[in-house]
Amino acid sequence: MTTPSRIDAQTNLVLRIHMVWRVLFAFVAAVAILMLWTGAGETPLWQKILIALGAVIGIGASAYGAFQISKRNHAGRMASLALDYLGFVACFVFALNAGEFFIGIDALGETFGKGVPYLGITALGYFLGMLEEYFPTKNKSAESSLKTVSRWVMLGGFLLFLWQVDALNGIIYFIGKLAQPGGLIAVAGLAIFGLSLWSMSRPNVAQALNVKTGHEQIINGWLFLSPNLLGFLIFFAGPLLLSFYFSFTDSDAIRAPNWVGFENYAKILNIKFATLDSPDQLARDVVDIKVYDEVGRFTFGNTGILFAAADKFFWLALRNTLTFVLFAVPLSVIPALVLSNILNSKLPGMKFYRAVYFMPSIAAVVGISLVWQWLYNATIGYINYFITLGIEFWNNLFTAAVVDPKIQWVSDENTALFAIIIIAAWQTMGFNTVLFLAGLQNIPGELYEAATVDGAGVWDKFWGITIPMLAPTTFYVVSTTTIQAMQVFEQVFILMNPPEGPNNSTITLVLYLYRSGFQNFQQGYASAIAWILFIVIFGLTLIQFQRQRRSSIYES
Amino acid sequence: MNMKSYRFVRFLGNFGVYFVLTFFAFVMIFPFLYMLSTSFKIPSDTFRYPPRMLPRDPVTIQVEGYDEPLPLYFVDVDGSRKEYALAKSNIKVGIYAPADDQANTVERFISEVKPTGGVMNQQKITVNGEEVKLFDVEVDGQVVPMILVSQTTVGEFIDPENPESEPVFQNVRLSEPVENVNWHPENYTEVIELNNLGRALTNTTLVTVLVVIGQLATSVFGGYAFARLKFPGRDTVFVFYLGTIMIPFVMLIVPLYQLMVLIGWTDRLAALIIPWIFTAYGTFLMRQHFITFPKEIEEAALLDGASRFAILKDIIIPASVPALATQATFTFLYAWNSFIWPLVIINVGNEKNHVLTLALNVLRGRASDTPNLILAGAAIAIVPPLIVFILGQRFFVESVAGSGVKG
Repeated sequence: MTTPSRIDAQTNLVLRIHMVWRVLFAFVAAVAILMLWTGAGETPLWQKILIALGAVIGIGASAYGAFQISKRNHAGRMASLALDYLGFVACFVFALNAGEFFIGIDALGETFGKGVPYLGITALGYFLGMLEEYFPTKNKSAESSLKTVSRWVMLGGFLLFLWQVDALNGIIYFIGKLAQPGGLIAVAGLAIFGLSLWSMSRPNVAQALNVKTGHEQIINGWLFLSPNLLGFLIFFAGPLLLSFYFSFTDSDAIRAPNWVGFENYAKILNIKFATLDSPDQLARDVVDIKVYDEVGRFTFGNTGILFAAADKFFWLALRNTLTFVLFAVPLSVIPALVLSNILNSKLPGMKFYRAVYFMPSIAAVVGISLVWQWLYNATIGYINYFITLGIEFWNNLFTAAVVDPKIQWVSDENTALFAIIIIAAWQTMGFNTVLFLAGLQNIPGELYEAATVDGAGVWDKFWGITIPMLAPTTFYVVSTTTIQAMQVFEQVFILMNPPEGPNNSTITLVLYLYRSGFQNFQQGYASAIAWILFIVIFGLTLIQFQRQRRSSIYES
Repeated sequence: MNMKSYRFVRFLGNFGVYFVLTFFAFVMIFPFLYMLSTSFKIPSDTFRYPPRMLPRDPVTIQVEGYDEPLPLYFVDVDGSRKEYALAKSNIKVGIYAPADDQANTVERFISEVKPTGGVMNQQKITVNGEEVKLFDVEVDGQVVPMILVSQTTVGEFIDPENPESEPVFQNVRLSEPVENVNWHPENYTEVIELNNLGRALTNTTLVTVLVVIGQLATSVFGGYAFARLKFPGRDTVFVFYLGTIMIPFVMLIVPLYQLMVLIGWTDRLAALIIPWIFTAYGTFLMRQHFITFPKEIEEAALLDGASRFAILKDIIIPASVPALATQATFTFLYAWNSFIWPLVIINVGNEKNHVLTLALNVLRGRASDTPNLILAGAAIAIVPPLIVFILGQRFFVESVAGSGVKG
């Protein structure tokens, strides 16, 4: 153990200032909590709790930091850096916000189009710079001059772009907004936190606090992770918790939400079965229709069972979504499995087919749905036209008299959901094919060779080797496809008019969630739907996972 | 089995393989072809049955004595098929028959037939208990009173070379118009200028570019920290990240919307950008990539006194271009195609801030009688990602293949 090196007077002073600053920081945070709690409360409870929680942690960490700095422990430096960094980031964001930077993106949308051609010039400059890598020249001076030219072209293009999008005016506007009280406070905060960070990161201060080699990596690690982690907490983890909280409230996005306990869940899950005396007995004879709506009935001979629910749309949506998954997943997985086995042969042109199959999965679902809307058109659409051609051909060939059904794809409640299933299967099949293909290419060829020696046929090899060896890929494909299928929304929303389809035949869980949350603004209720959706998805994935694990244990 | 028949079987097998593959390729590509061809059509052509792939226009011709160009139709004249111009349409023709012999019909222009007994005092006859008006119809020079059985309209077709010659009368709707293949790229200009797709395209580009840049930046830094830097809490955070990858986005719509209301970003493009530049999944992918990178090079650079940032900028990023390109393509597609979040956050009325998917949603309602415009809009939304895909295909398809969990 070495004795701490002597600390010079200046460093000592800096450390003292830092201690005072930490105490002051804790004090300011405490005052902030007090003001928040006593001030006239328009702030919703969850926001108060969140801010108070943050401030309490800040007070604790700041006091701890002051104490550790006084002890000359490195933990004090860590706490100090972390708090100042968070403060700095917060002030930076506030400054951007005060200068209307985020809102200003809208204005950029107005001028951005004019600037895009000049970005082309920048790109040209970049490629000019790349040229020398493709055509290496002996002449060094020519090379460097090319690079210089490229750099200038890039810079020029970018400046022209900035000029075209009116960047100067934007900056002037930004500074003007920043010069107002809120902005000035943020800038002052930036300066204070920045100064504190800078002084804390100086080597002699670090040494005075007994820095060790590993510490640098810790600081760098958190620093590198921080933008990602902060954003993730604010825009993902936080909202996720918030969603859980909302599902127990009557939140409507305008007023402060009230706690309602399990009311939302209770309403969704409130169902009733009743026996029917005759298949067409009215629902009001067997259930209280003030509470329940009929969802469906199952009849056997002269009796039947009526299924009623307090929220019939949820159950219809669940039924449709599960039906959708039940058909769309096999329809996009099984052909993909077959196609990938064909593509895995070493014949020429397979890459071309692979690329073609992949195309639907990259196109915007909204655009695709519009295209299919016209393909499905009952009178002029290609799908019915192909069916008509096929039936004519069949009738001519076998002198049969099959009647052309002229299916009303989207306006018939029996086919509407099926129309959506076809689009979804069409769109995900190629993606799944590529995934399967990758799985197939990982299967060692020796297995097949050994099987061939043992006299196994193509079919035996498929069932005996390909299917078991592909099990992990199959699990991945099936579960991702299922998760996606459970969230079907866009196709339904675009293709159907109204989106719930004829007689609610295409209302899906996400569509119902959207309708509850953003058309009826029952956002607490919508959150409860979201959590139930999540539980269903989680359950389905778990089942598949169990099956996959069991089968793989069996295999080994 | 001799060699020849073996080859034949192989050939048949390969033929079958290509047949199946080509069939599926056709299924996959047909909607795109349909979209492109329809987007170049004129509205009346899109509603034609049976449908056709190539966009066609009716041909018109300038005929002496007529101000407007006249549409050309195929007409049977003396047993041969000729191209005649439609000079006049909607000429009413009555089909007349004697009241006691209704099967024996004659066709006359309604304008040439006079009511029996004059307009004021038209004679009537009772057929099946109903009173029916009688008309004087000339048959072979004789005037016969007949009843009007039904009506139809015909068009007057004339020979464009010889407008004075005998015209031909036939039903216009049943006549086949003379058409030539003609593409209408002006559908695109119309949809861009009149239906706000220009602004939407700009917005989508802006949003996509910013999301791609932002997401790459945060996931490169985060991924590097996860892969290469040792610090307490790293593994806990990483497990936390992994746990959330499975959570579907729809879980977040409601709270994220309220968050946006709180910050004041509803109806703002910022709401489409800022929340999307932090992803657990992208960070995870970057970490998986960086972890394969040899450590020795980095350690050597550290000994030379390079900072972590310099190592990332000068060594790691230049060596990771394929991985970055892949993630950029993924993010591009995701940002370009997203619909439900913009639908929630951007007001329908605020067309200035619409992205392409939203503009298409509006266009769908507004232009429901002009599929050519709707599909031109769909093409504007679909073709740029396809181009990106074709350019980045090599990286992209390979890496999708790589993302399928191994083992």
